Amino acid sequence: MSRFFRAGESDSDDTESDYSDELTNSESEDQSDSDASESESDSDDQQGKKIGRGRFFEGSLSDSDSEDDTVRVVRSAKDKRFEEIEQAVTAMNNGQKINDWVSVQTEFDRANKALQKAVGIIAQTGVPKFYIKAVAELEKTVQSTLDKEKSAAKKMNASNAKALNSMKQKIKKNNRLYEKDIQEYEKDPENYDAEEEEAIEIKPKIKKPKKVVDSDLEEEEGEEVDDGFTPVGAGGKTVEFNQENLFKKLREVVDARGKKNTNREEQVRILERLLVVANTPYQKIRVLLNLISTQFDFAVGLSGYMNISLWKNAEKYLNNLLAILESNNDYIVKENVPEEDDNDKDRLPQNGEAVFIQGSIVAFIDRLDEEFTKSLQNIDPHTTDYVDRLKDEVSLYAVIVRSLAYFNRLDATDAICRTTMRRLEHVYFKPNNVVVAVENAIASLLPADIVKPSEDATSLVHDLCVDLYKNGSSLQRTRAMLCHIYHHALENRFFVARDMFLMSHLQDTIHLADIITQILHNRAMVQLGMCAFRAGMIKEAHSCLQDISGTGRVKELLAQGLSLQRHSTASPDQEKIERQRQFPFHMHINLELLECVYLTCSMLLEIPNIASTAINPENRKKMISKPFRRMLDYNSRQVFSGPPENTRDHIMAASKALANAEWQKSVEWISAIKIWDLIPESRKIKEMLGHKIQEEGLRTYLFSNANYYSSISLESLAKMFDLSLRTTTSIVAKMVWIEELSASIDQVTNIVVLHHLQLTRLQTLALAFAEKAAGFVESNEKLLETKTPQQGERSKKGTNASKEQGPGKQQQQRTMGARGNTRGGRNQFNKGLGNSVRGGRK
Amino acid sequence: MTYDLTSRMIPFLDLHLVFPLLEFLLIEELYTPVTLLEARYELAKKTNMIDFIEKLDDDLKDAGVIPAGGDLIKRREDILEQLQNAQFEAQKVMDVIENPDVIAALRQDKLQNLQFLKDNYGMTPEMIQTLYTLGQFQYSCGNYGGAADMLYHYRVLSTDDNLNLSALWGKLASEILVGNWEVAYEAIQELKETIDKTHFPSPLHQLEQRTWFIHWSLFVFFNHPKGGDALVDLFFQPAYINTIQTSCPWILRYLTAAVITNRRRKNLLKDLVKVIEHESYQYRDPVTEFVEALYINFDFDLAKQKLIECEKVLEGDFFLVSIQEEFIQNARCFVSETYCRIHQKIDIAELSQTLNMSKEDGEKWIVNLIRDTRVDAKIDYQENTVLMNTNTTSVYQQIIERTKGLSFRSQVLATSIDKREAAQAKAIAHEKNHPSSEAA
Repeated sequence: MSRFFRAGESDSDDTESDYSDELTNSESEDQSDSDASESESDSDDQQGKKIGRGRFFEGSLSDSDSEDDTVRVVRSAKDKRFEEIEQAVTAMNNGQKINDWVSVQTEFDRANKALQKAVGIIAQTGVPKFYIKAVAELEKTVQSTLDKEKSAAKKMNASNAKALNSMKQKIKKNNRLYEKDIQEYEKDPENYDAEEEEAIEIKPKIKKPKKVVDSDLEEEEGEEVDDGFTPVGAGGKTVEFNQENLFKKLREVVDARGKKNTNREEQVRILERLLVVANTPYQKIRVLLNLISTQFDFAVGLSGYMNISLWKNAEKYLNNLLAILESNNDYIVKENVPEEDDNDKDRLPQNGEAVFIQGSIVAFIDRLDEEFTKSLQNIDPHTTDYVDRLKDEVSLYAVIVRSLAYFNRLDATDAICRTTMRRLEHVYFKPNNVVVAVENAIASLLPADIVKPSEDATSLVHDLCVDLYKNGSSLQRTRAMLCHIYHHALENRFFVARDMFLMSHLQDTIHLADIITQILHNRAMVQLGMCAFRAGMIKEAHSCLQDISGTGRVKELLAQGLSLQRHSTASPDQEKIERQRQFPFHMHINLELLECVYLTCSMLLEIPNIASTAINPENRKKMISKPFRRMLDYNSRQVFSGPPENTRDHIMAASKALANAEWQKSVEWISAIKIWDLIPESRKIKEMLGHKIQEEGLRTYLFSNANYYSSISLESLAKMFDLSLRTTTSIVAKMVWIEELSASIDQVTNIVVLHHLQLTRLQTLALAFAEKAAGFVESNEKLLETKTPQQGERSKKGTNASKEQGPGKQQQQRTMGARGNTRGGRNQFNKGLGNSVRGGRK
Repeated sequence: MTYDLTSRMIPFLDLHLVFPLLEFLLIEELYTPVTLLEARYELAKKTNMIDFIEKLDDDLKDAGVIPAGGDLIKRREDILEQLQNAQFEAQKVMDVIENPDVIAALRQDKLQNLQFLKDNYGMTPEMIQTLYTLGQFQYSCGNYGGAADMLYHYRVLSTDDNLNLSALWGKLASEILVGNWEVAYEAIQELKETIDKTHFPSPLHQLEQRTWFIHWSLFVFFNHPKGGDALVDLFFQPAYINTIQTSCPWILRYLTAAVITNRRRKNLLKDLVKVIEHESYQYRDPVTEFVEALYINFDFDLAKQKLIECEKVLEGDFFLVSIQEEFIQNARCFVSETYCRIHQKIDIAELSQTLNMSKEDGEKWIVNLIRDTRVDAKIDYQENTVLMNTNTTSVYQQIIERTKGLSFRSQVLATSIDKREAAQAKAIAHEKNHPSSEAA
């Protein structure tokens, strides 16, 4: 004691007795905690002088004092800082009691400000524990008050409610910073008090450089078994937990589960105690199973997802459970175990027969993963919270892999498939290096005999998918196939991905699948389109993206955000379901990039198509990309168009330049688009696009100017578009061959001779008349067909069936359920008609 | 060498069918003789052609390689004994079958026949089985004629679908190896029907069967006079073109060759181009690249280059060597036709060069081309050029084309309206006459 005063703080004789026991405590701890600092006890001391309230004291005590004299020199500064915090905290507590949230809020801000000032000190000493306790309690109170408030008949006044709400936000954000400390506190809040009150000597914790999971477990055991204090139950009675009554207590907890007035926190506390006491594998497994379920039982607050610290607890316990099961091969947790009569006895494996315990690890895994996704769906993706949360994915992935190993040992096919699917869904959308990094990370988290880190994402995805193809249900097979396709497309293997798509005949049945699978299908399709684009296959890319990007409902089709419809007819329920379907942000396909790719493809196909109408007026009806046309029309109707700003403007400007055959300008505009940088090797992409623009520019030029020339030199064409003579010739030859251009090449002089037909007025009219007559007959036929539905139906099917069989069949996609279906149907109807008409002409 | 398909095709061929391929390679000297000898020896060891094995054994020893074979003399004895046993067993059946009375009594219905044979001659299914065993054994010994015979008899009698299919395969192989193309051609048709009709346990199984079938049929198609047509017809069927695309894209070479040599099926070229373009990432060789250069890239220089390469590839291909000349001729035709259609004025020297011909030959060639085909062109001797007359369709032609179908279509329309009216009238009349039926 004297040492304490010797340090120069010569005040507070009156409070001396209050903390005398604490001092002994601190002294005893000094020997063990060498790196901790003294500041807390000092601040307590100051606190004691100023406020001197024991109640407060209990909460603010700390076990990390030290006797380091050198630090002590700066003590007064620290004291001042912490004193400020202490005051704020006290005021905050008072405010909570009287439900005055305005004052709570101001005090909270004050405390935080003070805390920030004390950053330097905190860096040395760690965050003061009293603060942790205060904020942890505060969060709970806020939560409970909010809950009460919801059901309360009388609302609180506006400013108070507002303060409460903002408090909720603040505290949530704030507490995430101290997540670990709070967890520690929450693990046994009573201990904080108990320790101090009873002045128990706590043995030093020995950090064991062992496996994370195990050391955690042992730490708890070591600490709590050794000190041998008696925890105090709810009613202040002493509750004994020991081997004998373990099962009884456990049963009590199990029975109380789900009942109305059960205090869940209390339950968790009991279970945690039980876990400490349990020392046979059977007991531990039983307790852990219940403990995990209890974690999931906690009510989900307003946030819409499980509290993250609870989630982490659940994950930790699940890891413990798996560790126990791994080291004790004779215990098996599985579903549908016949109920044992004597539940209250410890069971040991007898004559090599394994002990079966009722429980479902796969359900835990499912729940854990779902809660993780939910939290990501709800956290704002642009905050650091999201990133922090995302970091947990590694450990989640590790648990999944670990459980997979367990199921493999049990040979439980269904569970294996479910877990494999989960694992696949964590992997398939990631680029190779990320997957390898995660694999290596989990290798360090798990025992070596469970995981062999995969060096290559492709082989990993392949293995997972093949497992599912072999054993999975049809839905799982479909999903695995789609994930596989997605991954192939991501890794730029267009042909493999496309062949898988075609060979699996997925597109014939996808509109019957559930919506989530359809979304996955859309994702795979979009990725395939992007892959085709990267490979420079513009036409393929366009046909892949057409059905998704052309609809204007991209967000909805990819589940990447709710599309804001003007006349939203969706009921709140539907909206809620839709919200649940959303993919977390990190899985998103960049929509702006997608649009950019789609429009660029459209431009390269549509501009020559539009130009060709100058020669073949029949082409006017042929529209390749409707949204693009609409945009172009809108853009050209503008009286004044400024320099392009966004991606769309750039593409429109490029399109206009291309239509005027100013390919350099067009290339400039296209390369100016910033979003290309998101594609790896964007330079190559730009080069490829430049080349395509040159070619299409040449075609456009020929189409639009053919009428005004009687011959053009190939060389000058080549020069004009900066193409080699060979390429130019080949492009022109192709146009001549497929009769897009009525021209021929004079090989001797190397010029393109364009053939013109000068029509007399009579001839033009005759042609127009023939056209009209044909149209008339056609519309008559259509009319009849609509009136006799079955006939039309039959002929439609016939033509389509024969078309679909074709080897080079285009991918025809269905998008969303019934809607996509009917639309497809109409298209096919038209196609069928077109065929019959053409057939008739021949 | 790089375009040799033998190694790719062997997995889909029967042991015995590989021998002709290897012998061909020996003549072409693409590989060293010793390697081939060893390969043949390895193959032969698995068969029962003991004389052949001995010969190869000796050859190998001459070549300085000690073959790792077992005791050939003992094996010969074994084989002879087995053969005798099998023959003895089968003879019993053959005696019955060859009896003129029996032949007269046999009907179309297999079950009835079996019953008849069982009742009158005590023949059991097991006995019929011996025919199959003997056939297989004879085939294995290299006695293909005998094997074909036995398997024919077996197929007439047996009702076992699975073995029947195997017997059919065996018969096809035997006929191919004997060189009996007419019969083999029939066997091909029969086998195709069976494969298409049979319900295999899985689509994969059927795919496998089709892949085998495609490979085996090459032997027949390139030797039978009608083979070219049949090949094109068969391979362009959706099921088979899909098989080619999925499991054996190298067959595209044969398909391409067949299409190009088949002058009458020009319209198939479009389909072929589509398939080749589609599969170009999986398989390419000078033959497909020639088509690609000509019809996808319209690069005549490249086509010319590829044509030279084609010559070599075809020379080294067991199946195509016989049609090499024809292929080159036709390919030139295709090139010049395409060339003429795209160009208006062509320098004869240039064109001859594109076709790998001397100037005189080229001129002759073009004259022939103009005479034989519909190409409308004239040679300008002074300038040494060919002038193509562009044949744009006249406006009148266009109008005729457009209005051609109209009256017919209107007629169809009118009749269908009539029909509909009549049907409606009938329905109304029916309702009037039987109002009670509706009520009831």
